[in-house]
Amino acid sequence: MNRRALLTASLLMPLLPRGALAAPEALKFRDLYVRGRQLTPRAAALAGQEVTMIGYMAPPLKPEIDFFVLTKLPMSTCPFCETEAQWPDDIVLALTDHPVRPVRYTDLIRATGIFETGFQTDPETGFISFLRLRGTRYEKL
Amino acid sequence: MKFQLRSLMAGASLLVLATAAVAQDNVLQAEDSYFTAAKAELARKIADQPNVGRAKNVVLFVVDGLSVPTITAARIYEGQSRGVDGESNVLSFEELLPYTALSKTYTHDSQVADSAPTATAIVSGVKSLNGTIGVTQQVKVEDCASQKGAEVTTLFELAETAGLSTGIISTARITHATPAATYAKVAGRDWEADKDLPEEAVRNGCKDIAAQLVDWPAGDGFEVVLGGGRGNFMLESQQDPEDETRTGARKDRDLIAEWKARHNDGAYVWNKQEFDAVDPAGTGKLLGLFNASHMQYEADREKDAGGEPSLAEMSVKAIDMLSKNENGYVLMIEGGRVDHAHHAGNAARALTDTVAVAEAVKAVYGKVDPAETLIILTADHSHVFSIAGYPARNNPILGIAGQGDDGKPYTTLGYMNGPGARLDEPRADLTGVDTTDLDFLQQALVPLGESETHAGDDVAIFAQGPWAHLFHGVVEQNLIYHVMEHATGLASRAALATSQAAK
Repeated sequence: MNRRALLTASLLMPLLPRGALAAPEALKFRDLYVRGRQLTPRAAALAGQEVTMIGYMAPPLKPEIDFFVLTKLPMSTCPFCETEAQWPDDIVLALTDHPVRPVRYTDLIRATGIFETGFQTDPETGFISFLRLRGTRYEKL
Repeated sequence: MKFQLRSLMAGASLLVLATAAVAQDNVLQAEDSYFTAAKAELARKIADQPNVGRAKNVVLFVVDGLSVPTITAARIYEGQSRGVDGESNVLSFEELLPYTALSKTYTHDSQVADSAPTATAIVSGVKSLNGTIGVTQQVKVEDCASQKGAEVTTLFELAETAGLSTGIISTARITHATPAATYAKVAGRDWEADKDLPEEAVRNGCKDIAAQLVDWPAGDGFEVVLGGGRGNFMLESQQDPEDETRTGARKDRDLIAEWKARHNDGAYVWNKQEFDAVDPAGTGKLLGLFNASHMQYEADREKDAGGEPSLAEMSVKAIDMLSKNENGYVLMIEGGRVDHAHHAGNAARALTDTVAVAEAVKAVYGKVDPAETLIILTADHSHVFSIAGYPARNNPILGIAGQGDDGKPYTTLGYMNGPGARLDEPRADLTGVDTTDLDFLQQALVPLGESETHAGDDVAIFAQGPWAHLFHGVVEQNLIYHVMEHATGLASRAALATSQAAK
């Protein structure tokens, strides 16, 4: 275990909720939506439960922040195809209980948290989210 | 007389080839299935006659980033997806567009091209500078004032002047480089909406790409425009109809309203249901903008909120619209997102989008008279994508090819650079990883997290129809325009129409 992994583990271990010992449901990005923002029956049924998702951490907005955006593919601003950051449709806001320790946005991570659905606007940042993981802990794969 | 002489010579060549073919029967492998299949192919090639008639129509497929390995991998992927042998599978365009050449894609200033000057080369016949559209190498990049005197005429403008119909289709934004090259003149390819114009461009009167599309002065304008990029035509004050969290990108001009006001016989659509309801017979012009930005990858299309037509469906509708003109038509069809999937380091989506293009070629071929329609398929540039190792025949193309010296498995498909590389860390162990998953990113050597890069190797040109046989050998990319113009005679026909209009 390298130093960063040790630090991450030491940060995360005390945060494990009691229910975490039961294996959380694995939820794939492609299983979120039927079409547009219509959730799949499975995704809708998992609201309020702990789930695990595999994806990428978009670069956090600023240091000392307690959320990040979990993306299906690395969040990139391609110099040859985009004039500005185009957020994909299927992103998940991952809220953490402590400041995020960023990982490189191309590193695959496993994020686990309580799955929430429905639009919500963050009062501090104005960030609008439709899907969230609350109390998120994460590990690099 | 010259033609007769050529025919005689061709006849003599046929005899020589036929004799050679008979002679091959004396070999020990004469009954081998590979041998007999290739012999049958030889017979087809001997029987092939070049078409030197005038092309009434031109259909130009540009598949953004379709490198030769992408064609090979897509061929195998498509076959394996149907449960047949992938390696010997044939994509529609490989079969239907038999004349081929290699295209040299370098630009006036770069070994490795971007999509802007390459599209200009294809539709206007000149090599130019990376980052610019519809202008010659005389321009300075991102310098509006330098555009004067550097603008080019496109094949689509000649077609409109000569009284043909025109259309552009793209799964990318319709203001993106490839389709934009048919109508726009900009020193900066990113000037897609007015908010993207730098102060110098505004001061010197340069217009953004979306505005140039709606204001295009050629003939009576495009009959068909289908693609993504709706945001570039909508005001910042307008909410997107498909996504309530998005608004338009423009500071000024509601371009969709302007387009509607100009074309009383036109139909504007933004979703699949509206698209399906368009009756080509009763519709003079069609504008379809199916996404605020790019349209969906083919693999994700069914999940689109508003619903999007496939590339094949858009192509068929376009030909139904354009073929009403007895003078003929020129149509560009861009498979715009093979490139984006490669930039993301995601081979699966690059391959599924390539297969969608193959389906569109098949659909188009079935709609047109191939004898009077020049159909071309090419790429603007390559990508750093390769097919590696010694995987066994019929190994899944998205699967594992072998094991590296580090004891870890490696995939058949991979990238020279891109998001699939780790930064200063050993590569990931793929043991137990499903590399055939749609979202899997192939490993890469050099970490370029934001985007895998284009490549400088040659790309293929496939063609059929009048003068398609001119595509042979290793050619400059800008030859493509010249073959299209020669096959149609559009430069002289446009000049004639202009002089008649002046009388």
